Amino acid sequence: MSVKVMVVDDSAFSRVMIADALAEGGYEVVGEAESIDTLIETYDSCKPDVITMDIAMPGADGFECSKNLILHDPKVKIILVSSMKDEETEQEARRIGIAGYVQKPVEAEALLTVINSVLAPDTMYQTLDEFGVGVFKEALAQSVTRMTKTTATFAEDNECCNNASQEITVVIGIIGRYSGNMIVALSAETANKMTEIILRREAKSREEVVGLAAEFANVVGGIACSMLNKKEKAFGLRVAPPSVFYGGATEVVSPNIKCHNTYADTEFGRIYLSVGFKKGSVLWM
Amino acid sequence: MDVNAINPILDAFAHILPQVGFQVVEKKAISLESSCLRNPGMIINIGVMGPLKGAILIGMDVESAKQFASKMMMGMEVVELDSLAQSAISEMGNMVCANACTNFSQSGMGGLDISPPTLLIGKDAMIKLSVPKVIGVTFAVDGIRVDVFVGLF
Repeated sequence: MSVKVMVVDDSAFSRVMIADALAEGGYEVVGEAESIDTLIETYDSCKPDVITMDIAMPGADGFECSKNLILHDPKVKIILVSSMKDEETEQEARRIGIAGYVQKPVEAEALLTVINSVLAPDTMYQTLDEFGVGVFKEALAQSVTRMTKTTATFAEDNECCNNASQEITVVIGIIGRYSGNMIVALSAETANKMTEIILRREAKSREEVVGLAAEFANVVGGIACSMLNKKEKAFGLRVAPPSVFYGGATEVVSPNIKCHNTYADTEFGRIYLSVGFKKGSVLWM
Repeated sequence: MDVNAINPILDAFAHILPQVGFQVVEKKAISLESSCLRNPGMIINIGVMGPLKGAILIGMDVESAKQFASKMMMGMEVVELDSLAQSAISEMGNMVCANACTNFSQSGMGGLDISPPTLLIGKDAMIKLSVPKVIGVTFAVDGIRVDVFVGLF
């Protein structure tokens, strides 16, 4: 079955050039849009596998059109096709979630290579998705042992996007080739007991317990990301400073991310762990 | 962090919101908060790394979040803050922060990167950020109150 492509470009000439390049690879242009006006309607009616997107268009530019498409369907695969190629353009495109980039004038070989790569299975992401949670579990177990001299036992993984809400929830953003989130959640009682063991005295305040939970999660995230970076340097993972939610029931949701949820039983109580990474292998030509 | 340094984030907010269905974005108030905040009902947490580190949070009460999501989805009725509404709102947060990184880069601070958004829903939970001070900015977006908290160092 041939790959279905939708072309977004205000220039009829460019649309023809891109269609010709695609035809060389036996790919089919199933829809065209020249502005934001007919963008979503065309996308819905032609259901393409991939979209080529010009940047400079009158009215809404390619970035704005891409944002609208991603809002409409987070799984959409967009390849920027533009004469502009600079670091700023590239960074903005990556952050928005654009999958690839081809410079104009379009060369058939480059365009087809990027399309094939964007549509191919992302093996590096698959590796991270498959092994990442195991590494985070190991990091959590190590951290429990190092900080409290006790052990942690894990349950089987349960894949779903809702994290069990506890009285203390630590959210840590992960940044790198694949960005993601790690969430560590525990009851106030568990956190209190951990604090007592680590400080060898009762916690003086709730702030001290919350601070301990943040530090614990930060250590777990840091160790896990270092271990993953050692396995695959190209991951380049780093953890952002933790945000801690406490003192009220909180539902935690990471939209559009496949999360692995699990929990560890410790001497202090149960510690919930949720880890997920966003897909988004990018190829730029 | 210097209050003026949040301008790239405020500019991003004013730039992106009209692109996702809003007409009027008004800055109502700006305040310096401690690192401890209260969740108004729903908050988007986005981690930031690079020359500045920390988190950007965007919060609103649950009813406002439903109205907000409805506007983003071209007026579709939003009775519950379901997965579609959550996805729309978190994508807005991602776009604002991504654009803010671009604005920082244009003003000479490149290399910032952001984590995917996490939504935390639950009225009155407290939030402790890993920064000494947080800058809070209250917006009215087509009349909907939205609070942006910037905790970067």
